Amino acid sequence: MNLRNIRLIWRREMRDQLRDRRTLFVIVVLPLLMYPLLGGVFFQLSQFRQQHQAVVVVGGAEQFEALPDLPPLLSDEGFTGELFSDPSQRSRMTVQRVDETPELLVETYREALASGEVDVLLGFPPGFAEGLDEVRRNLALPSTAGQPQEAPNEGLDPPSPLVLYNSGRERSQVAHQRVQELLRVWQQRVVRSNLAAGNVPAAVTQPFAVQQLDVAAPTSRDALFWSKLLPLITFVWALTGAFYPAIDLCAGEKERGTLETLLASPARRGEIVLGKLLTVMSFSIFTACLNLAGAAAMMQLLIGSISKATGGVTIAPPSINSLVWLLVALVPVAALFSALSLALAAYARSSKEGQYYFMPLLLAAMPLTVLPIMPGVELSLGNSLVPVMGLVLLLRSVIGGDMATAATYALPVIAVTLTCCWLAVKWAVTQFNQESVLFREGERFDLRRWLAALREHRGPTPSPAAAIACVGLIFLAQFASRIGLPYLAPANPGQGFLTAAMLIGQIGCIALPALLVAIAFTTNWRRSLWGDRPPRGSTVALAALLAIAMHPVGQRLAQWIREQYPLSDEVLEQLQGLGALAGENPPLWGVLGLFALLPALCEELAFRGVILSGLRKSLGDAGGVLLTAALFGATHTILQQSLAAAPIGVVLGLVALRTGSLLPCVVFHAIYNALPLLLAYYRESITEFAASWGLDGIVFTEIGSEQLGYTAPIGILGVFGAAAVLYALRRRECGLPHDPVGLRTAPSRV
Amino acid sequence: MIEVVGLTKVYPDLAAGDFKAVDRVSFTASSGEAFGLLGPNGAGKTTVLRILTTLLKPTSGVSLVNGFDCVRQEELVRNQIGFISVGTAVYDRMTAWEFVEYFGQLHGMNGPKLHERMEWLFDKLGMQDLRDTLGGKMSTGMKQKTSIARALVHDPPVIIFDEATNGLDAFAARASLKIVSELRDAGKCVIFSTHIMSEVERLCDRIAVMSHGRIVDTGTPEELCDRHGENDLEELFFRLATSEPSPPADALSVTGEAAP
Repeated sequence: MNLRNIRLIWRREMRDQLRDRRTLFVIVVLPLLMYPLLGGVFFQLSQFRQQHQAVVVVGGAEQFEALPDLPPLLSDEGFTGELFSDPSQRSRMTVQRVDETPELLVETYREALASGEVDVLLGFPPGFAEGLDEVRRNLALPSTAGQPQEAPNEGLDPPSPLVLYNSGRERSQVAHQRVQELLRVWQQRVVRSNLAAGNVPAAVTQPFAVQQLDVAAPTSRDALFWSKLLPLITFVWALTGAFYPAIDLCAGEKERGTLETLLASPARRGEIVLGKLLTVMSFSIFTACLNLAGAAAMMQLLIGSISKATGGVTIAPPSINSLVWLLVALVPVAALFSALSLALAAYARSSKEGQYYFMPLLLAAMPLTVLPIMPGVELSLGNSLVPVMGLVLLLRSVIGGDMATAATYALPVIAVTLTCCWLAVKWAVTQFNQESVLFREGERFDLRRWLAALREHRGPTPSPAAAIACVGLIFLAQFASRIGLPYLAPANPGQGFLTAAMLIGQIGCIALPALLVAIAFTTNWRRSLWGDRPPRGSTVALAALLAIAMHPVGQRLAQWIREQYPLSDEVLEQLQGLGALAGENPPLWGVLGLFALLPALCEELAFRGVILSGLRKSLGDAGGVLLTAALFGATHTILQQSLAAAPIGVVLGLVALRTGSLLPCVVFHAIYNALPLLLAYYRESITEFAASWGLDGIVFTEIGSEQLGYTAPIGILGVFGAAAVLYALRRRECGLPHDPVGLRTAPSRV
Repeated sequence: MIEVVGLTKVYPDLAAGDFKAVDRVSFTASSGEAFGLLGPNGAGKTTVLRILTTLLKPTSGVSLVNGFDCVRQEELVRNQIGFISVGTAVYDRMTAWEFVEYFGQLHGMNGPKLHERMEWLFDKLGMQDLRDTLGGKMSTGMKQKTSIARALVHDPPVIIFDEATNGLDAFAARASLKIVSELRDAGKCVIFSTHIMSEVERLCDRIAVMSHGRIVDTGTPEELCDRHGENDLEELFFRLATSEPSPPADALSVTGEAAP
């Protein structure tokens, strides 16, 4: 790596970008113009909203004129000013008084209400005022001494007034809320005046007042506000600021033909990527900072004007401390986004194609920056392991002044962030090293041609493309079944439905796509699905042993994952519903067949049969095993299951490679699935047996609620056992010609 | 100076399966020689030259530039070569001077030595008035001159022109060809690919005719004419380029025959 070259390239690209007026406009001028403009528009709009006149048609109000003692609801111009908490609101309501009963009112004005000419109808039925008066007069009657007054208003309910509004129109909704508030205040006044008439103190209507006190210092409240807002603005702009220069630096250069010039110079690919990465990062950070400054200025302005209007809360500007932390966090985030953008932009043939990739990238990054702002999302070990999200949460803690929590999780967050950065940079370098990416010319993807070519040039075992087709089919089928299954469910689903659902999920969604791909896109479907070598008794036995050895540590892992990422109540409910379908005491053989053997057979056919043997031809052994395991995890629909399944997928991939046959994988998978079922089924007998021999807590122990798990020594023993078995499998295959699953020739990197 | 033996490049192709863009190509070219690579579009000329400049990796075969291996000693090879092709454009937002200076620096030159060399080149190519012109404002001919200056800034022993007269007007093309012949006379090894027969006739000491990824025949223009009983080179080119090539029986024999 030649630092001089990196610096040279960086300096040139920076100068190039700065000479480009479009880049400068998007990155510097836009944020400086946009925020004042946005602030202005916001003001205008809010003015517009407040100045809207609400039209209220009031019918039957003339009956109040005969009752001068009643607190007034309406005056000459409209509603009485005393009813408004904000007197300025009064002028925004136009009241039209008509002399009609509610029924007639509805008839006459229904059309006008629907079209928005009128916002709210308020109708007082005949006899309403009289009813009110009656109540009041009854209260005012002197009570008989010594005797509590018998409920005097029994049966004297005045008829209800009617309020009509149109929730389909926002203006009508707003006007309705205002009218309701006015009526509520008026009602209170009526009650008070009634009580006054009956010589009851007004305090009975409000026996006590609640005093509220917020113990948070104003600074910590402001810190919370800023800790949510600042990372969002900064990181979204860091991505945007990275993407456009990245497109210009890669896809744009490809388009203009200058990339080849640079590649033919003595600079290495790695130096070129780093030079460009530094440029993109510089712009990313610069854009984020400018936008942050712009947004902060606008917020300050808005908050100032809002607090002036309400006379209440003001928010202090963010502290220097929090801004410094934000900048510290911005560097790795900018690096990550820049590397991702660069890799995508390198893949794009033209700037236009590059622009298409922006939306998916933004859609993937947005949840990671927005989720941590949601209320209730706190920094935990589980959250800290999610890229970007962990960093945003850490930043929230730091800005919020919660240094203890931040320090606890700083290490995993930093580790995950650096790993992601490293992977993204590596991906970008890989893109630059791929001539098929750098010199992609013209060819367009055409699904029909692709499938036809796949069939035309099929080999004895699946190609990488066939493996991708299989993955696509599986995900499509799973998606379709997830949408369709609820419609197929009978009114009272039971065991039958559970069986059908499992069969559809496994055979229909996983085994069938694999079989289709093997038949359509290979010449030897048996070998494609089943592997190259006949299974041997010894490898099958070793695979069984491996499953037993792996189970303790696998169970621990699953347990740990569930602690870090607790299942949501919704998912728990669904799982319990599924469990209930099995009914009381289902037959053991049925459970084992349905939940152990069936998935083992179907998933192995698809994942270790078709997908692994296809993918490793382009990715190599390690890459093939890892990607297959990740896809295997992804087909388990619940996140916690996916995370637990992926590592097992790696072990299964190793077994497939080392035995060259699928049967050991199926045996491993079936036993691994069966063990927890057996443990649950025989829990009591196992505990009793252990107790009777005095072996309590040596092999098994209770973990979680009513679940039998393994003790720690057994888990450690299992790990060593598994390693030994994997080693034995390798030794066993050493003497044979190396001809692993579905391949005659050794895989080569493409 | 340049040795290519059994060079093969295979692209995976959707429709046709594996597509052999270059099929067991072998040739040599030495210092002070202009070697012409002649063939219709799609014959594989650009792929061969991209492999020589290490932009592409061959599927099999060996190519040596000045004794350095194009696969294992990429940076050293790139230092030996000045590459000019349709695909090597100039930066729009950089002046000619900045552009040439940048590539000189990437070649490890700097300071007065670089600027002396640049002054000499700018004089020689008659582009002093282009010094402060941005790439985006240049005509095709100016861009070509700038590209040539860029390719020559580090004084490479090997210069590769890949269809470099494409899109140039007669004057600019003529100027380029003049530079090529001067470079050859200065003892450089020049590889020149084109589909225009007259350019080869004027310039090249030896030529190889390519078709469908293979070298159909190679030798001096006179040798080729004699061998195929054809007086007109243009006619000869059409005959060779359209004939279905027979695979070379032994890649090495071609080299043996063609080696000077």
